Amino acid sequence: MMYDIGLTVFNGLAWAMATFLVAAGLTLIFGILHILNFAHGGFFMIGAYVSYTVMLAFGAGLPLWVFMIGAMAAAVVVGLLGWAVDMFVFRRLRDVEDAYSLIATYALLLVCGGAVQLIWGLNYLSVMPPPSLNSVVFIGDVFMPTYTIFVILSGVVAYIGLELLINRTQIGQLIRVVAVDPWMARLLGLNVTRIYLVTVIFSFAMAGVAGALLMPNQSLSPELGGIFLLQAFGVVIVGGMGSIRGAFLAALLLGMIESFGTYLFPQYPGIFFLLALAVILLVKPSGIMGKEQTA
Amino acid sequence: MSNGINRRGVMKGMAAAGLAMPFVNVRTAMAQSGPITIGVVTPLSGPAQLIGTFVREGAEIAVEHVNANGGINGREVELSFRDSKANPNDASVAARELIGSGVNLQLGTISSAVALAMGPLLQSEGGVVITSGAGTEKLNHENYNPHVFRVGDSPVSRNAGLVRHIANSRPDIRKWGGIIPDHEYGRTTWKIFEATMRKAIPELTGEEAQIAEPILVPYGSGDYRNYIAQAMRQDVQGIYTSVYGGDAVTLYQQASPFGLFDKIDVLLDSANEFLVATAMKDQTPAHWSGFHWYFEANKGNPLSDQLYSRYVERTGEKYPMGWAAEAHAAILAYKGAIEKADSTETTDVIAALKGLSFDSATGMRHIRAEDNQAIKNAELAFIEPSSSEPDGFAVTDYVSLEGEKVIEPARPGQMLDIDAL
Repeated sequence: MMYDIGLTVFNGLAWAMATFLVAAGLTLIFGILHILNFAHGGFFMIGAYVSYTVMLAFGAGLPLWVFMIGAMAAAVVVGLLGWAVDMFVFRRLRDVEDAYSLIATYALLLVCGGAVQLIWGLNYLSVMPPPSLNSVVFIGDVFMPTYTIFVILSGVVAYIGLELLINRTQIGQLIRVVAVDPWMARLLGLNVTRIYLVTVIFSFAMAGVAGALLMPNQSLSPELGGIFLLQAFGVVIVGGMGSIRGAFLAALLLGMIESFGTYLFPQYPGIFFLLALAVILLVKPSGIMGKEQTA
Repeated sequence: MSNGINRRGVMKGMAAAGLAMPFVNVRTAMAQSGPITIGVVTPLSGPAQLIGTFVREGAEIAVEHVNANGGINGREVELSFRDSKANPNDASVAARELIGSGVNLQLGTISSAVALAMGPLLQSEGGVVITSGAGTEKLNHENYNPHVFRVGDSPVSRNAGLVRHIANSRPDIRKWGGIIPDHEYGRTTWKIFEATMRKAIPELTGEEAQIAEPILVPYGSGDYRNYIAQAMRQDVQGIYTSVYGGDAVTLYQQASPFGLFDKIDVLLDSANEFLVATAMKDQTPAHWSGFHWYFEANKGNPLSDQLYSRYVERTGEKYPMGWAAEAHAAILAYKGAIEKADSTETTDVIAALKGLSFDSATGMRHIRAEDNQAIKNAELAFIEPSSSEPDGFAVTDYVSLEGEKVIEPARPGQMLDIDAL
């Protein structure tokens, strides 16, 4: 019994942190630019493919440092794509209705799928974790793959890093000011456009890193962009749109609900996340950390 | 009161008819002596695009072969492609549009939902379709439609073939579990697996098969750890799975560090052919997979050898999926039927397809007149990781089982009788 509960908690944490890694960039962009970026999954996918290419270039064996170089390469490439997207797409969306943002970012998602197809083809690809992350650790009777522990720790580190960045640094302070009132920030002489650009590049780089870190547990195909997108949106919405802390808590909550739901009712796979999403939004439509809307 | 008909109206109608007549005549003449156009409605975009590319290659290679050998009754064959997106709505629009432009003979359906939608549509519009691998058993059972033919495996012959072979070769494995996608096809494959295994094991060993509850997994998930944990809890020697494509690769990747494949003796994969092995290479878990067509099992068959060599020449890839052979077979079936009927009219072709025997890349196939289902060999291969192989894996065993012995009795219009398997 304790074994089952231990493994279920562990799997819930793995689900939560994998999803948070994807959701972090998504909620950051929404929090600052108020753009619901459907293309986030597409750039997550490109990050995974870039990292795959780097790892392929280094050949078999894949020590951990190659894996981390792959993640950094993914961050740089996808961050640069973020720069291009901000210059050519997001800037044009700032003063238009939300519906245009949704359509434009959905179109970007399709472009990502097409680009992946052209560059890497349609075939399924995969990479195993580096040997140092491809073992098992026992805690009591519960065995835990080291790569999954690595994913969980990556999620926690990403959360702590983001919290520190937003709350304890000067750039974080500027980002918060712009998020609250860009008009006033502009009046005070802040370069709001540049702060937006930095935010987008950083969010995209996070999508790239998430793709790279999660790649060894996923099949790569042009459909990868959609795999985590629904979960990530769920986490962002339940957490409260734009809240990093909310997304982290929501990921933990939904991960545990999904994991225990599957353990207790295996005949209904995959529905507990959706069920929890619906119930939480009925009870608290603004999400865990979201601000209530007032008329 | 006017009845709406006057002299001016009649004259206009006659003039319009007169203007149209030459075109009608030309089109009819072309239909009788010009190239025969066959429509290929298959996914050319979207999640199933990869499968569509195999269908496209197989159909084009077959047409090359047919045209190089005199065409059909001396007429060239040409293909007209439409994107089904593996979606019944898009496929219906494409099929209707093709029929509207005179293309009544079609193939390329790979999705069960699309294949089921095609029957009533083609019946009302006057067309016929040969599926290139749609897997639902309903096609030749409760949703049987005379306008839809399947020249590939029925789900029964595929899965019963797998079970019969494993039960014969490893009768010591009596405890089975399953990891099944939670959709209609997944549940059907499990139903067939369970029924056949429950029958096969006692026949061979005199003991009961012990079959655990199947583990249902959602489609398109990024995280299978909870389901893998369920599988780890089961006391089983063999696992059967019909999880397909990228989902299967993700599942196998995530299951590997948990030691799931070390815990069991046999992994039985209903349909992935080389999809998993080409992705995972030397990390591929050893497994038996069902195949529409495995080229090595058909070496020496000129149609198979030609299909394989042309595929490799055209794509540069060494591992064609069996979907290519099913599209290839569909063209050869149309050739046989049109030559038999000496007509391309829908009713004549349907009549000729029923009971047709024709050669293909997997040898002779026979289309049962009762339910439009082909009887063909069930092929399966054992794929193992191999670090000495350049691709990281090797096929170390394969079998081709006689179709007649693994297919269910024809029962068009009635549900699959599991007890009769």
